[in-house]
Amino acid sequence: MTGSAKSKNDIPPATSIPEGAASLESILCTEELLQRTSRPPDHAKENAALVALASALAESGQSILDILAGAILQVTDSDSAGLSLLTSGFATPGDERRRFYSATIKGMWKGHAGDGTQRNFDPCGDVLDRNCTLLLRHFERRYPDLLPVSLAAEECLLVPFYVRGNAVGSIWAMMHTDRRRFDSEDERLMRVLGQFASLAYQTLGTIDNLKSQINAREKAEARLRELTRAEVGVILDSLQAQVRTGEEFHRVVVETASDTVVSIDHRGDILLANHATTATFGYEPAELIGQPLTILMPEYLRDLHRAGLKRYQETGHRHINWQSTELIGLRKNGEEFPVEVSFGEFNSDGRRVFTGFIRDISERKQVEEALRASERGLGLIVETIPGLVWCAAPDGELNYLNQRILDYTGTRAGDWAQLGWKNLLHPEDAETTAHAWSRAVTTGQPLEVQCRLRRSDGAYRWFQALGQAARDSAGGVTRWYGLLIDIDDRKNMEEALRNNRARLSRAIQTATIGEFAAAIAHEVNQPLAAVVTNAQACLRWLAAEPPGMAKAHEAAERIVRDGKEAGEIVRRIRALFRQAAVDNVEFDMNEVIGEVLHLLTGETTRRRVAVETDLGLDLSPVLGDRVQLQQVVFNLLLNGIEAMDRVVDRPKQLFICSKQPNPETILVEVRDCGPGIKDPDRIFEAFFTTKENGMGMGLAICRSIIDAHRGRLWAASGEGSGATFSFTLPVRVAS
Amino acid sequence: MNSDSPVVFVVDDDHRVREALSSLISSVGLRVAVFGSAAEFLEFEKPDAPACLVLDLQLPGTSGLELQQQLLAGDTPPIVFISGHGDIPSSVRAMKAGAIEFLPKPFDDQELLRSIHAAIDQDRIARQKKSELAELQRRYNLLTPREREVLPFVVAGFANKQTAANLGTSEITIGVHRGQIMRKMAAKSLAELVRMADRLGIARAARTV
Repeated sequence: MTGSAKSKNDIPPATSIPEGAASLESILCTEELLQRTSRPPDHAKENAALVALASALAESGQSILDILAGAILQVTDSDSAGLSLLTSGFATPGDERRRFYSATIKGMWKGHAGDGTQRNFDPCGDVLDRNCTLLLRHFERRYPDLLPVSLAAEECLLVPFYVRGNAVGSIWAMMHTDRRRFDSEDERLMRVLGQFASLAYQTLGTIDNLKSQINAREKAEARLRELTRAEVGVILDSLQAQVRTGEEFHRVVVETASDTVVSIDHRGDILLANHATTATFGYEPAELIGQPLTILMPEYLRDLHRAGLKRYQETGHRHINWQSTELIGLRKNGEEFPVEVSFGEFNSDGRRVFTGFIRDISERKQVEEALRASERGLGLIVETIPGLVWCAAPDGELNYLNQRILDYTGTRAGDWAQLGWKNLLHPEDAETTAHAWSRAVTTGQPLEVQCRLRRSDGAYRWFQALGQAARDSAGGVTRWYGLLIDIDDRKNMEEALRNNRARLSRAIQTATIGEFAAAIAHEVNQPLAAVVTNAQACLRWLAAEPPGMAKAHEAAERIVRDGKEAGEIVRRIRALFRQAAVDNVEFDMNEVIGEVLHLLTGETTRRRVAVETDLGLDLSPVLGDRVQLQQVVFNLLLNGIEAMDRVVDRPKQLFICSKQPNPETILVEVRDCGPGIKDPDRIFEAFFTTKENGMGMGLAICRSIIDAHRGRLWAASGEGSGATFSFTLPVRVAS
Repeated sequence: MNSDSPVVFVVDDDHRVREALSSLISSVGLRVAVFGSAAEFLEFEKPDAPACLVLDLQLPGTSGLELQQQLLAGDTPPIVFISGHGDIPSSVRAMKAGAIEFLPKPFDDQELLRSIHAAIDQDRIARQKKSELAELQRRYNLLTPREREVLPFVVAGFANKQTAANLGTSEITIGVHRGQIMRKMAAKSLAELVRMADRLGIARAARTV
């Protein structure tokens, strides 16, 4: 026992904790109160409890503790609630004979009312020691006295109970199951009601004292016959003082209440007002006494009040709900404000007295208004979403359409039920969409479907319809939320892209032929130009005086030579296309490479590319479409040449080789010394291009040709720079 | 053919075209020198004669257009371009850089020869102007420093007396200088001397009165 541990009422902490009992800390979880989500105050319930307490006090004063326990049970929605008090009037502090007794218990534990426990070992004792609110979990682990009690204490919230500033017991609420957990609002309610009840307890003491004094007085009166008149007078004076004290109680209660409390008589005149009226209405209590209650309400409510009060007194019919009614109050400065009022009525010496508990709910109203505003804001947000938003009931019936849907379709919200949403869809999409929606509604799976929706001008646009079910905690669908996204432009682009692909595929064929043609033209043009020039020279030599016969002869010989060469070129070109109609012929790959290289000499010269070849000897013939494979070689070589266009810091070298790595395969490699390839895999995709003017079709076509020949085409980026394209072809298997 | 007779240079990488052009051009009595590349042409020591360059646009190594740019800096004969598949941008560039003509292969012999002759004529005039100027410069170099001082006054039409006053000497001395100038420059009249001075770019003295 140390001095510092002494509590306010000078009761020492428990000293005889039984062996093996849990420590207080192990069952204590008071700080959790602050972390738990607190429910909002229920002022109506609270007011009702206060009114009940006040009424009980005015009526009997005896049932106050029962009513307190009942009120706490109700407002905290607990399983049991009660009030434990120290037995009073015993010995000295620390006396182990001091015990708690359960003054009252309501709820499931009510059978234990009147039970007692030792002062130094009871949860109430810990509350008194700590002099603060405690939240305990399964306290029976610590207090073995309580073990035999039938229902376990899952959670117990205890609040000290003060009388005249001294803690004399505790008010508690208990949960026997985990049905609900206490929060800080419970604690607040218990403190408020406890404060109220402590006044009651004081009164109770006063009344008890009074009774015993009256008892004593009755006994004394027998003696008093002999006593002097003066003595009687003194005793009577003292008695009257005590009675006044009892009457004072009501006033004390009223004064300490945080809400405005106003009592009126049957005429509606104010009998009593507490200090809270100053803060709430701006009147000093004294200013109000004797004034009609109507002074506290705006003009337009006054007749209503007078009539209502009159009718109630005549017929017993209440014109408003007494438990909790929202009304308008009027401050002294003329300002109107919302109030919540609860009434109670009691008789005092045959006079009817009405007491009203008035609470300023301006702040609450503001919060509510803010909430409504934010709800309106949410609605506004939904309306301003640049999308078409809809909601539907769990059964699939549309019950909300945002303004954008209505604007788009040119309909009104009411039209839809009559019109049917299916009729706003493109006839071709109506069935599939309806099917998808009914499937979603049946299964609860998200809706995702594309459909055309008619615009107000009759045009249809493609939409992606998305729906998502909102569910309650049990998993049941409560509502469908849906969005319509305009994908018409995207759809059209996809369509255009498909058309473009077809067009491009034709274009690439034309382009390839065009490239061939340009190469052919250049090859034929050179000897042709020489032929023409030689012929002209020949004519001039013949026309000269004297004719230069020898020179003319030489020129004619060159004409024959170059003409033959041009013929050879034409023959080679024809060879390129000769087997175009034949799908599968046997041919020499090197021959094809040679022909293509010859065709490209103009290109390589013009771009100053040095071509190096390493063609394998005695390659087995391959079987396939000669023209197509020429196209592949042509494309790969041209790509290599073009890849080196920007090379300035090194010689432009193009290397092509052919070999037969194994008896079944011919391998052709084309290597350039350009910048290399960043993405060797993607490069074969259609429309993938690294060239400014390329269409990205060449390599895609090459790969499809090689694939068709059961070969393989791939690319690799060389070390440092350059790219290598390789393809294999199966050789013709000797039969 | 003497050493002054015009010469046509042909640069083309295709031997067939070189041979044909060589034959055609020599058939009209012009001297021809053929080259397979720009480098060969640049190395060749050109004769001092009116000339023309027939240049293929597509050449291995230095291209026709590049050679044209290199030649512009120095002493160059006018150029006639020939091209296997000339594109429009190339031809525009070539013409802008001063080419005489741009002919696609195969070309008409008359057109080619006319262009060659036009080029040679242009070169001949240019060469003549250049040699005349060189002769004037040679004569001017014969003048003494004092005579070069007097010359601007003479061509500006100053009287000997006025020139003497300007240069702070006697009228008689100026008369002697004037006679020497006319003789050394081989000018038959004052008017001819004035033209010579103009071509040499000699400014006339400004009158102070």
